[in-house]
Amino acid sequence: MKSTLEGEFRIGTESDIVTARRFVREAATTLGFSLVDVTRIVTAASELTRNIYQYAGSGVMRWRPLHLAGRSGLEIVFADQGPGIPDVEKAMEVGFTTGKGLGLGLPGAKRLMDEMTIESKAGEGTTVRVRKWLKK
Amino acid sequence: MAGENISVMMVRGLLLVTVPPDPDDDTVSALQQKVLDTMDRTEAKGLVLDISTVQTLDSFFARTVAETVQMVALMGGRTVLAGMQANVAVTATQLGLTLGHADTALDVDRALDRLLASPSQGRSR
Repeated sequence: MKSTLEGEFRIGTESDIVTARRFVREAATTLGFSLVDVTRIVTAASELTRNIYQYAGSGVMRWRPLHLAGRSGLEIVFADQGPGIPDVEKAMEVGFTTGKGLGLGLPGAKRLMDEMTIESKAGEGTTVRVRKWLKK
Repeated sequence: MAGENISVMMVRGLLLVTVPPDPDDDTVSALQQKVLDTMDRTEAKGLVLDISTVQTLDSFFARTVAETVQMVALMGGRTVLAGMQANVAVTATQLGLTLGHADTALDVDRALDRLLASPSQGRSR
């Protein structure tokens, strides 16, 4: 596996969740995140890639380093063309799930990261964007 | 392929399972099945899940562990989770994970002591 600070990875099978975690761990570690932040980022990525696999079947994860206004960080985007989330606000409630999960994925990922935005249209797909900033 | 690298060991009447560092969902499910099969075949009085090398504890993993704890309890056994890393504990808490009624211990040694000191009652055939 190539060590890259940015890249794109297609998610289509269950084992891709583990591969996605490895890409993210590599990028976050190289960028200089602390072990606990690396664990937070990898765990959030695990939840969000599993969402793609479970709800959309397939999708893509893209990651890149951020350098904005003197700050550095990591951005990861999870995009799919699945059924979409009809009610994003509802999906952010802890314990709400339409699947067989715990309903922790989206709200949990938000707590683990510094920023999270969700764009979703029923029938067209979902894009979740998360960011974590390096602490000085 | 999944589950090949999981060994369930019997140590002084207790099952000891070491969870691999970065298991996929199939491996986690296989681990559960292997534990239950062994609980069924033997007279093990409890289970120590060594998670000291685990790097990522996400919601699927946590749910399967919590289920396993409950299933082992129904079979008359007790489970102790041993050796969770600090960074994993921080992350699991912020994610909102609970691990059911699992006991925890700093390491495998202490987990074995705990189970041997107060063996579960009623698991004999």
